[in-house]
Amino acid sequence: MIIEIGHFSVIVALVLSVFGMASAALALKTRNPDWARSGRMAVTLIFVLLGVGMLSLVYAFIIRDFSVLYVANNSNSKLPFFYTVAAVWGGHEGSLLLWVFILSVFSTLAVWLHWRTQPAIMPYLIGVESAIIFGFLCLIVFLSSPFERLLPVPLDGKDLNPLLQDPAMVMHPPMLYLGYVGFSIPFSFAMAALFSGRLGEEWIKVTQRWSMFAWMCLTTGILLGGYWAYYELGWGGYWGWDPVENASFMPWLVGTAYLHSVLVQEKRKMFKVWNLFLIIVTFSLSLIGTFLVRSGVLTSVHSFATDPERGLYILIFVGTVIGIAFGALILRSNKLKSQVEMDSLVSRESIFLFNNLFFLVAAATVFLGTLYPLILETLQNAKVTVGPPYYNAVFMPIALGLLFLMGVGPYIPWRKASVASLKKSFSTPLLAGAVIVVLLFVTGIHNLYALAGGYVVTFAGMAIVLDFGKISQLYAQRNGSNIFQGSLAAFTANQRRYASMLTHIGVLVLVVGIIASTVYQTEKVVSMRVGDEFAIGDYRMKLTKIHEVAGGNWNAQEGVFQVFKGEDLVTELRPQKRIYSATQTPTTESAIYATNMGHVFLTMPEVSEDGVAVARGVLNPLVLWVWGGGVIMGLGVILNILRPRKKEE
Amino acid sequence: MSKGWQITLILSLLGLFALFYQGLWGDPRHIPTVLIETEAPNFEGPDVETGQTISLEQFKGKVVLLNFWASWCYECKVEHESILQLHQLFKDNPDFVMLGVNYQDELPDAQKYLQEYGSTFSHVRDLKGQLAIDYGVYGVPETFVIDQQGKIRHKWVGPITGEVYTNITQKVIAPLLNAQPTTTTTS
Repeated sequence: MIIEIGHFSVIVALVLSVFGMASAALALKTRNPDWARSGRMAVTLIFVLLGVGMLSLVYAFIIRDFSVLYVANNSNSKLPFFYTVAAVWGGHEGSLLLWVFILSVFSTLAVWLHWRTQPAIMPYLIGVESAIIFGFLCLIVFLSSPFERLLPVPLDGKDLNPLLQDPAMVMHPPMLYLGYVGFSIPFSFAMAALFSGRLGEEWIKVTQRWSMFAWMCLTTGILLGGYWAYYELGWGGYWGWDPVENASFMPWLVGTAYLHSVLVQEKRKMFKVWNLFLIIVTFSLSLIGTFLVRSGVLTSVHSFATDPERGLYILIFVGTVIGIAFGALILRSNKLKSQVEMDSLVSRESIFLFNNLFFLVAAATVFLGTLYPLILETLQNAKVTVGPPYYNAVFMPIALGLLFLMGVGPYIPWRKASVASLKKSFSTPLLAGAVIVVLLFVTGIHNLYALAGGYVVTFAGMAIVLDFGKISQLYAQRNGSNIFQGSLAAFTANQRRYASMLTHIGVLVLVVGIIASTVYQTEKVVSMRVGDEFAIGDYRMKLTKIHEVAGGNWNAQEGVFQVFKGEDLVTELRPQKRIYSATQTPTTESAIYATNMGHVFLTMPEVSEDGVAVARGVLNPLVLWVWGGGVIMGLGVILNILRPRKKEE
Repeated sequence: MSKGWQITLILSLLGLFALFYQGLWGDPRHIPTVLIETEAPNFEGPDVETGQTISLEQFKGKVVLLNFWASWCYECKVEHESILQLHQLFKDNPDFVMLGVNYQDELPDAQKYLQEYGSTFSHVRDLKGQLAIDYGVYGVPETFVIDQQGKIRHKWVGPITGEVYTNITQKVIAPLLNAQPTTTTTS
């Protein structure tokens, strides 16, 4: 019964989304604010109704109501409670419902938060958000309903995909969706600007925090996905350039470009068309990402059901949204001449321009690599896979270029930089980079990527430190305080700038982690019996026992490995080869020993009948920096979002 | 935005969506094998039920269907009935042989599986997983059709049910048995 209430709520929400669009149109036509108010009520009610829909599904999972097809397909009586709740978004239908639910949360928040300050924009916002909600709700109600009943009722469910039974995986999809959907708010404001012809800087200022929030969630989602892949898939890597990973990375790249490029419009009133273009592309890529993941057009480890009918629907919907958005941009573009021309190629705005070009080229690279198999199949009926070698070769130089720009951009003046000021700002960082390269080389690091990475990271890091040091000193002198109080004062007075710098520091830490763990990863695969040992790096692993262990819904063979460094026993690692009872799916559970910000990573992918185990050891130096960097980046963005509002904001 | 940019933008969007549309009707999981049209690797191994040695060589000159399966594999159970049905269909033809390949399995489990679900043809055990490596098996179930000359003519990843069943029986096996040259199928 409860599930029918949920189903009914979602259908009513669908009807209300039509009402939302209609009231937005009437509000614009009649200029009667009552229509806008009705629209606001519709958006709010949609949020409430979709909340009821979500809760009813959660309830069906908790009481293990296997008469609901979606519950029967994605859970099982032995599934632990925590994963039972997360199983709500473990499949196609439920994750779509989560997508649109988050969208309704954001729409409602945006409508209520900006109601007083942006009355003219509201009808557009209500209209655009209702339209997107309408598109997704049609898909849910007519083609992908999670509320369908199953007769006869099975005794037990098929279980949640064991690979998804993992804490990181529980949070990964919601975070990604918060990111994807979060960009719908700046997108809606951009659409409002285009439709209404209010093409000033207003929409950018209003949506800045929304964009940052969306970006932070997307970053977190991607990093969580990487973390999950790292220890759950058991191959010891966190990024495989899988099409579905790329689908989330592309909006991130363009979204990052957008976050930077809006600063130029804000300060210099330039890049107007460009910013609209970027936010449309960002949100379009979020939608295309959803299409790629949900339609099964590409081969991926994320094997979702291939269903041309649903795929076609999503394609038509996504195509309509993107078509209208770009159509509006093209029609309006003649009104969008920048009032200002660029003064010099050596200026902050030009660095931002290069930053944008690099990000777009990076996104295009990923886009091409992701779609290349599809293109080739369509044109020549040939099958290919584009793997990491392509991405590493093409993407790495672009990423290094971006890091270099990151060291330049924030410290070069707007309009035009003089040679003297360039010398003053950058001679020390350039020199520091060179020193580090020599040091790295002398200590035996000869890999080109490691050296180039070391150079740009030092350069960019040094530029941040010098700038902050200088300003802190100024504040300390002015207030007659010590340097720590000075730096605190400098930070609070320029919170926006230094919160961004903190995010940049996070990026640098992340890059060091990526380079170290990619270039200096050591791997060893051996067959061994109990009593055997193998060496990897400074460590020795001795297999002391293989035994059976059981969890709530799985059984496993567990290898007990003693890990020695020299003659000292440092830890015991217990990798498992699990078989989940309901689906009989095997998974490889890794065991990790963290040391010096790096990992000793061990899996046991095979155990044969006669007791021969295949063990795979991986040393990942500095791999924790990848996620540590992510945390710092997130902290920077949070400080940026929470900074006190200035009057004009 | 200049006219040129506008047209470029519109054309790229149209191209992109045409590509996506086209992509909807293909199945990216059909992975062709480099082994198609090449000599099927020979193998030798014990029969799951009798323990007697089975080798591919002894079936030279016949059309051989190799079906990789395991007792822990859910989709194998899904296809099992159609696999038996397929054997029924061709078993009276002296030129046809069907072999199961038991992949990464415990012997008692495999035997129990066959007792439980039924078996009308022989199954060879892939003791070290070498056979699967030789044939480039991604996962189970996976099915190969080898022609009279010992060449691999067809490969399918996933269960043989529904349309796939019709395709493999009517368009692959039947023409081979009638000695009509088939077009190479790369599904």
